[in-house]
Amino acid sequence: MSAARVERARNSGALSFSILMLYVALPYGVAALTGTPEPNLGALAAWHSAAESVYCEEGLTPVTVILMVETLSMIVAALLARRSGDRWGALGVALRRDGGHLLAVMLLIGLPFLISWQTESSVCTRGRAFYWESVLIDAFILAILAISYNLLFGFTGVVSFGHALFFGLGAYIVGLLMKHLGAPWWLAILAALMGGVLIALVKGVVGLRIKGLYFALFTLAFAQVFFLLAGNRLMVNITGAEDGFTFKVPDWLNTTQNRFFFYLATLAVLVLAFVVVRRLMNSPTGRVLSALRDNESRAQMLGYNTFYFKLISIVLAGVLAALAGVLRGVALKGASPGVLSIDFTITPLIMVIIGGVGTFIGPVLGAFLIHLTEEALRDTVITIGTLSVNIGERWALILGLLFILIVLVFPRGIVGSVQAWWGRSKR
Amino acid sequence: MTTTTPPALRSTTLRQSLIVSGLFVVGLLVINFVFFPPSTVVTVVLSGLYQGMLFFLVASGMSIVFGLLDVLNLAQGAFFMIGAYAGFAIYGTLPESVSLEVRFVAALVGATVFGGLVGLAVEVGLLRPLYARPVFQIVLTFGLASAINEIVRAIYGPAGLIPIDPPAFLDTTLAIAGGRFETYRVFIIAVGLILMVGISLLLQRTRLGIVIRAGVQDREMVEALGINVRRVFTLVFMLGTAVAALGGMTAAPFLGAYPGMGTDFLLTAVIVIVIGGMSSYEGTAIASILVGLTRATAEQISLQYLNTPILASVSILIFMIVVLLVRPSGLFGKE
Repeated sequence: MSAARVERARNSGALSFSILMLYVALPYGVAALTGTPEPNLGALAAWHSAAESVYCEEGLTPVTVILMVETLSMIVAALLARRSGDRWGALGVALRRDGGHLLAVMLLIGLPFLISWQTESSVCTRGRAFYWESVLIDAFILAILAISYNLLFGFTGVVSFGHALFFGLGAYIVGLLMKHLGAPWWLAILAALMGGVLIALVKGVVGLRIKGLYFALFTLAFAQVFFLLAGNRLMVNITGAEDGFTFKVPDWLNTTQNRFFFYLATLAVLVLAFVVVRRLMNSPTGRVLSALRDNESRAQMLGYNTFYFKLISIVLAGVLAALAGVLRGVALKGASPGVLSIDFTITPLIMVIIGGVGTFIGPVLGAFLIHLTEEALRDTVITIGTLSVNIGERWALILGLLFILIVLVFPRGIVGSVQAWWGRSKR
Repeated sequence: MTTTTPPALRSTTLRQSLIVSGLFVVGLLVINFVFFPPSTVVTVVLSGLYQGMLFFLVASGMSIVFGLLDVLNLAQGAFFMIGAYAGFAIYGTLPESVSLEVRFVAALVGATVFGGLVGLAVEVGLLRPLYARPVFQIVLTFGLASAINEIVRAIYGPAGLIPIDPPAFLDTTLAIAGGRFETYRVFIIAVGLILMVGISLLLQRTRLGIVIRAGVQDREMVEALGINVRRVFTLVFMLGTAVAALGGMTAAPFLGAYPGMGTDFLLTAVIVIVIGGMSSYEGTAIASILVGLTRATAEQISLQYLNTPILASVSILIFMIVVLLVRPSGLFGKE
């Protein structure tokens, strides 16, 4: 690769980011200029309120139209870029490499507006679009959790059965600090992430003394400590014991008032998590991580201190999971011991396995697929002969059986299997 | 895995571990006598022993199975639960006219056989295809545990079943050192001890036991001698799940049956195995008693002074972490 090409490849990430920013800024600007603000507001607030008035309209709004036009031009540009060769420079590289992903993010940004158009409801108040936003927020949070679990399990080969610990920790720390110490939101979030780092370090330093599968057992028991602590009656005034607690969040983070903003924020964190993991795995550190997954003794023999590399992976996965937990806590404005329970270890595990272990997009796809299917089939009852099954009630069972089937038959998951099939048919 | 440790050295470390365990028990007893009157101490010890025996029934299968073929069966807790529910089902199906004693024995035998059969099905149907991908075996058993949990929930509902009546001669109380205790606890301890000795005899005195022990030491060598380790493994896996199911049924008159019981016992069994040292049978046996006693002592202290049983679970977790820091391979594990 020539120096200029390397430079272009390096710029392409920033370029993709700029495209995305432009994509969001354009409809916002238009809405702010055409909308009618609420009276008696300062310049900036009036500007935002004007934009909001357009965003919150029901049915087909100018915003929806602009977003659709933008998305269509993105499709065209991505297709043209495939044939452009070197003529488009860094832009060509960015579109070729990230075109698909950019398009996916754009569709997700536009999705609430599409739903609002089709169902004649508003993205800001009670209605179909508003409801689906909350479903998608949950899907994004689970996807972040799955991405972090995949970093550990799929890319580094560290088998951990205690991932719920970090998820729950994020929700608990953020909530407890905001509720009892009146901490500002940024401090609470920062503290939750630091808490994730700290606990991950303890888990890694103590746990990695233990070899192989032993470590998996350790993680299972280690996570249980925190589940028990959260549910104990001694601190009932602080944590609310088994019932959990609720807390107040700033208005702009409140999912009942500003859900669409929270939707975008969660999506942004998801994109961030995705980019961070992909960047890491394409870096020299990432190469060592996959090397020690494939053959740890060989990586050691080559002179790498595998302990530190595993620790990096555990800490980063812990922080990402804590971030997902923070979002969950803020979205629900509360936390209960359920977020620390073994369920939130099994869920990302199933999502990763079904989506595709050790692939970048697999965990995200798995999370979306599972969560949205569950939501769609909530009230469906299937009757076979005399046996009638309520899908919503038996979802965990169906998922468990599906999981066993996938492990046995398609161990590479959806994305892995498709990639293998694609590779074979190309050859 | 080969061990190059000479036998003499191995027995020294074994003796050290035994001494440490003995001192630990003495320490627990001292703590007990400092805090409680003698009658309470007897309750605590009995309660510790009966819990320890139940942990042993779940953990022993896991430990031997892991030693043989490096398969970590995280569904072992679920088999414990299956045993309890199977026992309930048999109790319910048999007509009232059959005497309680007969129904009880039928439930014990039935639960054991059912647990063994399900174990056989799981090993042959689900684990065998995965020997090429060991990590997926653990992941599968982990998922299987949650699936079994959901199946039970689907059939019996989320609420637990109230404990079944034990036969009349076990439904009495005993007077020891000025306190009264349920005879059933003693029964559980007896069942546990019988199995502990029985499995030990099986391992030490029979041809199958020799093959198992040799397989734990060096599987490839045993295979080279023309023994089908896979088949032995299937048998051992089945025995392990059967013992866990028996444990579940034994506990049913005491604990009842509820969907989360598998997870509860799995977590404690995991701690027992980590403390005892993986793939060490004697380690698992001793560690289960240590864990049971620790748990009972902490529970009593915690109930008396804090009015909540929280310390019971936390104490054994701390116990595990301390053991791991001092000896990462467990008390009786291979270095």
